[in-house]
Amino acid sequence: MALRLTLQVQLVLQALLRDPAREMYGLELSEETGLQPGTAYPILLRLEQEGWVTSRWEDIDPRAEKRPARRYYCLTASGAVQASAALPGARRPKGAALRRLAGEGGTA
Amino acid sequence: MRDLDGMMPDTDPRKERVKRRARVGICVIMGAMTVLLLIGPGWTWVAPAFCAAVSVLSTIAATGKLPGRQEKGSGHRSGRGLSACGREDDGPAGSAAHQWHVLVMVSRLMPGPAGRRWLAEADSLLSEITATRRGAAIRSYLRSAPRLVVMMWARDVLRRAWLGPRRPG
Repeated sequence: MALRLTLQVQLVLQALLRDPAREMYGLELSEETGLQPGTAYPILLRLEQEGWVTSRWEDIDPRAEKRPARRYYCLTASGAVQASAALPGARRPKGAALRRLAGEGGTA
Repeated sequence: MRDLDGMMPDTDPRKERVKRRARVGICVIMGAMTVLLLIGPGWTWVAPAFCAAVSVLSTIAATGKLPGRQEKGSGHRSGRGLSACGREDDGPAGSAAHQWHVLVMVSRLMPGPAGRRWLAEADSLLSEITATRRGAAIRSYLRSAPRLVVMMWARDVLRRAWLGPRRPG
């Protein structure tokens, strides 16, 4: 099934495309996109299913770091190419959609 | 001092537990009686099954505890969940713990590994944000959960169909 480039998906892809080699974790992504973490998670899952994104658990000792391991997401090579190709042709967000998104809680 | 003690609300955890169990027991008995009144004579076996199911569900709902889960808030940060690895500004522990238990229960509706991953990611993220932002984050997780449950089960069913039925041995 083809990936639907909704406004939220576009925001996540744009955040990941800023530096395609950089790995980002959920909180970072939700802060950069202004999406709530619960909104970003299904998008990342779908992108991963489509092979656009790859993810891995951070390799740390949670006791030593005093926090749980993060899940890092990164664009795959093909994902970066497909996202770069798809984003310019994607539907531009309207003002109302952006306002709604801002109201959703830009702060994650 | 004695007077002040008398003015304090009764927060003895043992009494609270007994009260909660009594409430659950009353609900179970009333439910069983209703079922017995509604069903025909050939279906009396439904009542004990109903009692068992309601007892388990009400205990989980009332206590917020799931089998095999570690008790939280003991000061030893070894378990999982918000209080296990959270920040110092966790806010009201009761509220955070309750919300965490709701997330745990929702994760059980998803296929095993997918549910565990969803919960682990939520745990990881929620432990890094401040208490003021945590409520909205949890609500967003819960809002997207029904769609995720359907999506994950659909994916799981498709994967199983693709792999074919498991054969013993």
